[in-house]
Amino acid sequence: MGATIPRLAQRPNLWPWLLLTPLAAYLAIFFVVPLADVAIMSFTHPKLSLANYERVLTGTLYQRVFVNTFVTAGLVTACCLLVGFPLAYLMNNSSRRTAMLILLLVTMSFWTSFLVRTYAWMVLLGNNGPMVALMQSVGIDQPPQMLFTRFASTLAMVHILAPYMIMSIYTVMQKIDPVLVRSAESLGARGWSLFRHVYLPLTAPGIANGCVLVFVICLGFYVTPVLLGSPREQMIAGLIGTQIEEFLAFGMGSAMAMILLAVTLIILAIYHRRFGLDRLWG
Amino acid sequence: MTTFRKGRAPLLTPNRRTFLKASGAAIAAGLAVPYVARAQDKVLYINTWGGPWQEAATANLFDPFTAETGVEIRTVSPVSFAKLAQQVQTGVYEFDMTTLGGAELVRANQAGIIEELEAPYEGGLFENGIASHAFATIVAHRTDKYPNGGPQNWADFWDVEKFPGTRSLQRYPARVLPLALIADGVAIEDLYPLDIDRAFASLDRIKEHVLVWWTAGAQSTQILRDGEIDMIGMWHGRYFEAEAAGAPVAMTWNQGEIDRAYWVVAKDSPNRDIAREFIAFATSAKPLAGFVKQADYGPLNPAANEFISEEEAARMPTSPANYPKLFEQDIVNLGADPSEISQRFEEWLAT
Repeated sequence: MGATIPRLAQRPNLWPWLLLTPLAAYLAIFFVVPLADVAIMSFTHPKLSLANYERVLTGTLYQRVFVNTFVTAGLVTACCLLVGFPLAYLMNNSSRRTAMLILLLVTMSFWTSFLVRTYAWMVLLGNNGPMVALMQSVGIDQPPQMLFTRFASTLAMVHILAPYMIMSIYTVMQKIDPVLVRSAESLGARGWSLFRHVYLPLTAPGIANGCVLVFVICLGFYVTPVLLGSPREQMIAGLIGTQIEEFLAFGMGSAMAMILLAVTLIILAIYHRRFGLDRLWG
Repeated sequence: MTTFRKGRAPLLTPNRRTFLKASGAAIAAGLAVPYVARAQDKVLYINTWGGPWQEAATANLFDPFTAETGVEIRTVSPVSFAKLAQQVQTGVYEFDMTTLGGAELVRANQAGIIEELEAPYEGGLFENGIASHAFATIVAHRTDKYPNGGPQNWADFWDVEKFPGTRSLQRYPARVLPLALIADGVAIEDLYPLDIDRAFASLDRIKEHVLVWWTAGAQSTQILRDGEIDMIGMWHGRYFEAEAAGAPVAMTWNQGEIDRAYWVVAKDSPNRDIAREFIAFATSAKPLAGFVKQADYGPLNPAANEFISEEEAARMPTSPANYPKLFEQDIVNLGADPSEISQRFEEWLAT
């Protein structure tokens, strides 16, 4: 008798795992298998070798595009943080009505198709658009070229991705106990010091969530830079598409996809060690 | 459960039973459709470009073919060369036939992913594709930017002193490199095989002035119509769209670069015989004339000219009056591997 009780208690509960089977089967068939296929193709297409990886890792074009992709993702993430943090702070520190209004505006833009938003920026920043008209009305006769520059593509990508940042930071800010801030104040923390030593560390998980989400999603972008950016901006996703659609170079495309996936996983792993992946969705 | 709701039915929460019924019906329909379609045996799946292309094809090719033969036509879009190759490898056919440009056609034929065909009209067969219609890459400009006359050929397009302003070209080296050589003074009969180094040196001269390397036809129309660029090398049909929208624009057929589109049948497709029948129909005089008129192409079967008025022919690169001003590409004699050209081009763009 004495032995059976601990054994019963230790018996693992299989129910949660059983409930996961449909999802696991779905993921296995529609995600793991195709992904494995891509991984295999990167080594075997057109023949068994490491040639695809060699070409991707040593070719100057691929190196340059990989660097540009990560620089772009980093820049967009930084801008999203600069825009998103104050907005999340505002939402958290204003009346319920105002917060709802901001939330509505943010989600409305979030639900609009991203192609529509990209074209909207083309209209806004174009030669006959309101931005140029505004500049001319204040006396700038030769407004700078805005469309088809890194400025335009970054602006649009920040607009598209900022909601992820805002929501990540806002959910964390909401959970911060106001008592902590008040006690810090009672202990003499003021202004920048209060923000730097109390508020910022408390919101750090939200900032990290938002940054990882924005960065990783941005790595896969390419339509927006092609439509709004300068010809020099190329994203790796676009290059993968060209390899497959135009040259049927499934091996090259797969190798590039695998490298992109590996780098993304490394970033997520670093995040996981530091913050825990389970917190990614708030 | 129903005792819960005595007042008005809620707006968003559907009644559980109707929801189950609806979703059950939807699932059943979803399962049944492919079965019914395949069981009928008289369905042809065609890969199309969607949009206005498909509208013109449906009105002039698909519906009349169905009326004549009873074969139902279903479409899959957009056109995907990669899918064509994949479905031959996997044996799972999403479409039986598609249209390809010259460069893709040559590669598809070399890769053995298309059926062997016979010419339905004289001169219609090339690399197992049947020539259907043509479009041209032409020089267009904004008349508000150049009121005293704009660029009339590729040398003008390259001349940034005579015609200062912003430019746009397609991000497609196989089409752009010949233009760069013509601008540099190479005679059209000496174009092929392409002198790739000279072409890139020529492109260097206008690189700073090319603001946009467009990737989609609709994009080229939009930037010309909205005046985002001052001159552009674009497809003639897309130019006419900008003109029809009332934009202050002009074009020339001079030195226009013709691209041919070919019908092909996926290798071993289960409907290959019906597909052949369809190609014969779609490239015959009357349906083809109707299609090219509506979609702004030029017919490659000369018999179609009979059904095209002089006024309509003026909008076509293949009309007897326009054709001598344009030139054709020599796809099989490019002078280098297309994927290497493309890689060099992308690298050139990035620096």
